[in-house]
Parts: sequence; structure tokens; C-alpha cells
Amino acid sequence: MSAVNVSGDMSSEMEIDAFRRLFPLRFFERHLLESIRPDARPLGKSRDTTLALGAVASADGSALVKIGCTTMLAAVKMEVMTPTTESPDEGCIAIEFHMPPICSPMVRPGRPSEVAPVVSKKLSDTILSSGMINLKDLCLVSGKAAWMAYLDVYCLDADGALFDTALLSAVAAFSHLKIPVVSLNDDGRVVVSEETEGQKLDNEPVNKDKRKLKLSSIPFSLTCILHKNYILADPTAEEESVMDTLLTVVLDSSCQLVSLYKPGGTFLAYDAAVQDCLALTRQRVKELKRILTEAISDMELD
Amino acid sequence: MAGKDNATPSTYSPSPKILKKKRAPVFTDVDWVRPDGRGFHQCRPAYLRTGAVNSASGSAYIEIGNTKVIVSVFGPRESKKAMMYSDIGRLNCNVSYTTFATPTRGQVSDCKEISARLHKALEGAIILDTFPKTTVDVFALVLESGGSDLPVVISCASLALADAGIMLYDLISSVSVSCLGKNIVIDPVSEEESYQEGGLMITSMASRNEITQLAITGEWSTPKLNEAMEVCLAACFKLGEAMRACLKESASASQE
Amino acid sequence: MVGLSIGEKHFIEGGIAQNLRTDGRKRLVYRPIQIETGVIPQANGSARVRMGGTEVIASVKAELGRPSSLQPDKGKVFINVDCSPTAAPIFEGRGGEELSSELSGALQICLLGGKSGAGAGIDLSSLSIVGGKICWDLYIDGLVVSADGNLLDALGAAIKAALSNTAIPKVNVAAGASSDEQPEVDISDEEFLQFDTSAVPVIITLTKVGREYIVDATPEEESHMDSAISISVNRQRNLCGLTKRGSAGLDPSVILDMVSVGKHVSEELMNKLDSEIAAAEAREEE
Repeated sequence: MSAVNVSGDMSSEMEIDAFRRLFPLRFFERHLLESIRPDARPLGKSRDTTLALGAVASADGSALVKIGCTTMLAAVKMEVMTPTTESPDEGCIAIEFHMPPICSPMVRPGRPSEVAPVVSKKLSDTILSSGMINLKDLCLVSGKAAWMAYLDVYCLDADGALFDTALLSAVAAFSHLKIPVVSLNDDGRVVVSEETEGQKLDNEPVNKDKRKLKLSSIPFSLTCILHKNYILADPTAEEESVMDTLLTVVLDSSCQLVSLYKPGGTFLAYDAAVQDCLALTRQRVKELKRILTEAISDMELD
Repeated sequence: MAGKDNATPSTYSPSPKILKKKRAPVFTDVDWVRPDGRGFHQCRPAYLRTGAVNSASGSAYIEIGNTKVIVSVFGPRESKKAMMYSDIGRLNCNVSYTTFATPTRGQVSDCKEISARLHKALEGAIILDTFPKTTVDVFALVLESGGSDLPVVISCASLALADAGIMLYDLISSVSVSCLGKNIVIDPVSEEESYQEGGLMITSMASRNEITQLAITGEWSTPKLNEAMEVCLAACFKLGEAMRACLKESASASQE
Repeated sequence: MVGLSIGEKHFIEGGIAQNLRTDGRKRLVYRPIQIETGVIPQANGSARVRMGGTEVIASVKAELGRPSSLQPDKGKVFINVDCSPTAAPIFEGRGGEELSSELSGALQICLLGGKSGAGAGIDLSSLSIVGGKICWDLYIDGLVVSADGNLLDALGAAIKAALSNTAIPKVNVAAGASSDEQPEVDISDEEFLQFDTSAVPVIITLTKVGREYIVDATPEEESHMDSAISISVNRQRNLCGLTKRGSAGLDPSVILDMVSVGKHVSEELMNKLDSEIAAAEAREEE
């Protein structure tokens, strides 16, 4: 107890920056007592979120998402594959999450970060299980050719809430996706039809009316920190490093639960806490839906 | 051929065919229009910004045409344990590409060589004795490769180093030219680069009038070389000015 | 690389300023060059070059391969350099890797020309067998056996000699194969094609010490350098490639001056190499 008192007293004597570095947990708890966070957010508030579609011209669909300082770039590239014999009229989605060394001082080249594969797996599970994309829509010629959608998410700046940002950028990249018009050539390979006007195409395109993917029940997520009785929505990297109990809720656009993920941690999640997180996520879903719709309608205006 | 294994089916991109079919011989004439309609000695518009990555000590983003590069600088921080004592600082460079940077997925040129060339271009400009025993890490990610990647990476890295407050003799700016037929075109796009007969890349410290790195490929006669160098150095100087302006702007913005 | 006292440094620098180097050479004079061809029987072509204490071996191996989709009517050339740990103590373990990749990169720039193949020392289209289907892949491997300065020039000379020593088997293509199949080929054991090496450039490295430039620097002199420029020059005295080494910056006018000096030296070196190669080939045939 005395140790607490000593450092508690020191908070008034020390410089704030030094206190923050020496006693990070106490620093945060002092803030939580006042129901405020070091970046002046109330506990349940997420950071500012921006979304830009079509950031990369070399991909078929792309999106840049910023939640606070966390920045992610997601891009979809479409390639052709031969579907498996079990599901001849289905395409495939391959999802990968990368943390290049530029994004954080913790990641060094040649030594990949430990978080990246975890986020990658969670992202892939969430998108595939949410039923957002009907794999049958990716079919080109039944049994012969189907689309393989490569989704790569790059973290450009890591400042907490990696999964939330990655999921939002992935969803946005898919909604920006414009599937190229292709046709079968004489060798049975699928090639892009050149869009030259006036000139008759050699081969009839096979997917003229399937230029856009229909996205049903889009998943959105919110990660919260559980610390004692407090719930902190959308944590920063610093908060994540100090308080280690995370709870991620994924809801789809009609607020149905897609997944709930709590990877251990010091604190247990009681009913009430989970309910509170769900409520926060519902609010957040509305916000994210609005941001995504605005971005899409902006794009269509251009 | 049928990919039975669900995890790794073989896939191919439907697009690259059209690229090679279209032109190729057009460049040999005396008069032709560049793919993006620029003049031969006209650079693509550049967008520069510092402070793109918050978690780094310094960072920069440069967008020149479709070439988009982001560079983070970390440090000076402790060198790897295995490294021997050194009374000057170390520079560590790494360049990587996103999988979607090139038209065909995962078709990435040799990152190790590009990293080595970035290192060579930068080391002459950094005052290494100002951070003994430590390492400065320069990491670059090419978000989209639209031609002249290495020069853009080098300029962006120098901007990021300045943003991180690393002591430099001068800002480094880098520009390349391609030789196509009888003409010299500056700041080539990928398409021009793949058909070029010769290439010249200059990395210079413009205000000291010094060249830190120079690479020439292809056959060059003396007058052509002189012309190319002159054009390149002028462009380097201009780019250097733009970089300086960008740094000044961000410094005055942070003061307010 | 080489530890020198201040006195020794002044001595070397003073000598260079007076056009008299420590081994008695003038600034733009090479050490004696010895060339031996056909040193590796398994390779299609090989050569050993000695330049003072520097000894390098280059070998050329030709294999059938598939041309790249971007350049269907051209063969491919791969250049790789290894530094033997026997050459210098620092090459032990992974120590030689950095130098190896620097040398291979410089050789690629100097010998392979632009991306379209123009200005290349090796005519890539002569390596094509069936356009888009089969071509020769040339694997050029350099090995540094003993390092005593000026490795790049020695490697360049060795590759030139190895290429002129190279004989590529004649290939007969079976007619009648359909367009989308890989055609069958028959490699002849008796007929060989000689490689045309007249366009292969020579590489000259000019090291700048103080205000003067020297060629064929020894390790003592190299440890002194502010910067060095390697240029490759072909018989038409056109520049085919240039790389700069060393961290110090150079004034543009100095670079242009170095290039013109290098071109001047190149003619002499080219003639010398040609006669040495011819002599070596004659010796081999005996």
C-alpha cells in the first residue's frame, strides 16, 4: 500500500512525461478515475475514423483507412484459377495481413511480428464466416475458371486496434472492387477484354453483368479494453501495452453477432461487461456504416 | 493442372498480355507522345509530405505520378547485440514492395539489391559521427510501383531522415532518365523503363553540387551523357527545392 | 581493409600526386595481366585472369531455358560472383556476401546494358532458339581466388575471356510441333557455335585519391579512396555502364572528366586484353 501512496504522491511532484514512462499503469488509472483518457477521449469513444477508396491504381479494389493514428491499406487483386472438383462453381478468397517494418519500432526486417499472423487468421475467419461474399459470385465458367480474390492488408502505422482497422479496410476494399471484364480466348485461358470502342470484341465477355460484388451483411468490429470496472473502446498501442485484457466484438450491418473474441488476459469478462461492449459496438457499427456509405457515394459521384 | 489442394491453387493474372502486345516499337521514332502525355523533359507532378507514420521517429510519403512510397526512420537506437563497437553510427536500409505494387501480383524486383543501392546513396549524406554506437534504421515500403521507384525511394528516405532530425550534410534528391531511341526522357514510367535502351540515375546533394550515387546502363555517347546529366541535375535541384519547402512547411506548422 | 599509418598514407598520396606509385607504376598503368582460357573443362567456357596479386576465375555455363514473357525472343544471362574465403580473411563465413552482391550488381550494370538489351555486351537475341519457347540461359559465375585490389576490372576481363572461350552446342529443333506445345530439341555433340565477343566492353575502375585518378589500384591505394568510378567502354568508345562506389560525393564535372580519362585508357586495355586472349587460346589449342 505504501508504494502506491509514494508514487501517488509523486504524481504531483514529477514531470508528467517521466511519470507516464515510469508508472504507466498508475498514470492511466489516475486518468480513469476522472473518466477521461490521456488523449482527452471519454472511455467509450472511438478515435476519428477516415476512409479513402481507390488509393492504389494497380489493384482492382483498394482502400486506405485511418482510425486515429492506425493506418491500413487494403487492396484486392483478382486472378483466375481452376475451381476444385468439390465446388466447381465457387471462387476463392485469400486474405493476408502484413506488418512491414515501417509500421512500428517493434517490427524489424527478417523478424516478422508475432501479432500479424494472429490478425491475419482472425481477419480471414471473420470475412469468410460472415457470409459477406457469396463465393458463387466469383464463378466465371463453371468447373473451368473462377476468380481468386487476393486481399492484402498492409499496416502502415500501428497504433492499437489493429484488427478493427484491418477489417474496415478489407470491407472497404471489397466494396470498391471493380471486377475486370474478361473473356475466354482460343486457348481456353481467361483474358481481360480490351475496352476499345467501336471495335468488336473477338470473344464474348463472360462476366459483363458481374462487375461488382454484392456484399450482404457486412461485418464491423470494435475492440475494447477491460480493466477493473472500466471499459475503454478503441485502444491505442500504449493503452494495449499497459492493460492487457482485450475483447473484440464483430457485428454485421444488421447488428447480428458474427464473432466475439477474448484472448485471455488478467481480467474476466462478466455478463455486464460483455453487454456493455455489445452496446458500444452497436453504436460504433452505425458510425462505421455511415462512414462507409459516404465514401462509396462520394466515389460514385466522381 | 486442376488445383486439388485447396490451400494453394495455381492462379494467373488475366491482364499482362495486353501490355506487351500494344506498343514497343513506337519509341524508336523521333516524335512520339509519352504514355501520360508529358513533355520529354517534364517530370511528373510530385506530392510530398512528412510525418506520415506516427510511431516512427521520422517519416515521409512521396507520390510521384503513380509511384507511391512511404519511408519510416527509426532511431538512432541501440545496435544489434552481435555488432561490434563502432565509434560512428550505422545505417540500416530495407526496401520492400506490397504484393499489389506491380501489375502482376507478387512480381517483385530484387529488394536486396534495391536496399543496398539505397544504403549507398544515403550513407554519403548522413553525418554518422553524430550518433556513435547506435543504428539508424531506414525502412521503405513501395505501395505502388509506377516507374522510377528507386529514385523516389531515395528522395523519400532523405526527407524522412530530415524529419527524424538525423544530421545530414544536405538533402538528397534523386532523378532518373531513360534513353529511348534518339530521345532522353526524364522520370520514366514503368512502361518506358521496360523498353528503355539506356538508363541513368543520379543521386545528388544539390546545394553542395555533389553526386553521391550514379548508375548508368546501356550505351551512351559523350554528348548524350552530358545532356542527360545536365537534365537530371536540373531536375534534382528542383526536387530538392520542393523537399526543402515541404520540410519548412511542416516545421512552421508544428511551431504554431 | 588495410591498416596504414599516417606516414604510409602520406607516402602513397604524395607518390600519386607526382605520378609515381609505390610499385613504380604511373597513375594510368595497369599491372601485368595474365590470361589463361579453358581452365574448367565442365563449363562451356572459362578463363583465369591474374592482375598482380589478384586472381579471378570466370566460367560460362549454357543451359536450355524458357524465355521470359516480357522478352520472348531473347535469351537470359545471369551473373553471379563469389568471394572465396581463401582470398582474404574478411571473406570468411558470410563476410564476403556484401562484396559479392556489390560486384555482381556492378557487372550486371556494366555488361548487360539497358532493359531492352541495347548496349549490352552480349547479344541476347542470339541466344534465342525458338521464340517464346526455348532459349539459352547463360550462367556466368565469377570466383575471386585471391584479392589484391581492383577485383571488378579483373572479373570483367575474365568474363570477356571466358565468353570468347565459350562454345555453345548447335541445337536442332524438331519440326512439326504444334504451336502450343514445347518443341523437342536435339543438342548436337559435335557442332558448336562460337560466341561473338567483339561487343563485350572492358571495365575500367578509376579510383580518386586526392585530386588525381589512378587505375588498377592496390588494396593499400583502395583503402585511401574517397570514391571510385567503374565504367565499361566498348570498342566504339561508347559508355556502356557506370557505377560509383565509395560514399563521398563528386562534382559532376569531375565525373565527366573521369569518364573521358577512362575512355582514353580503355583503348589500350582493350587491345591488350584481345592480344592476351588470342595468345591464351592459341596456347590452349596446342
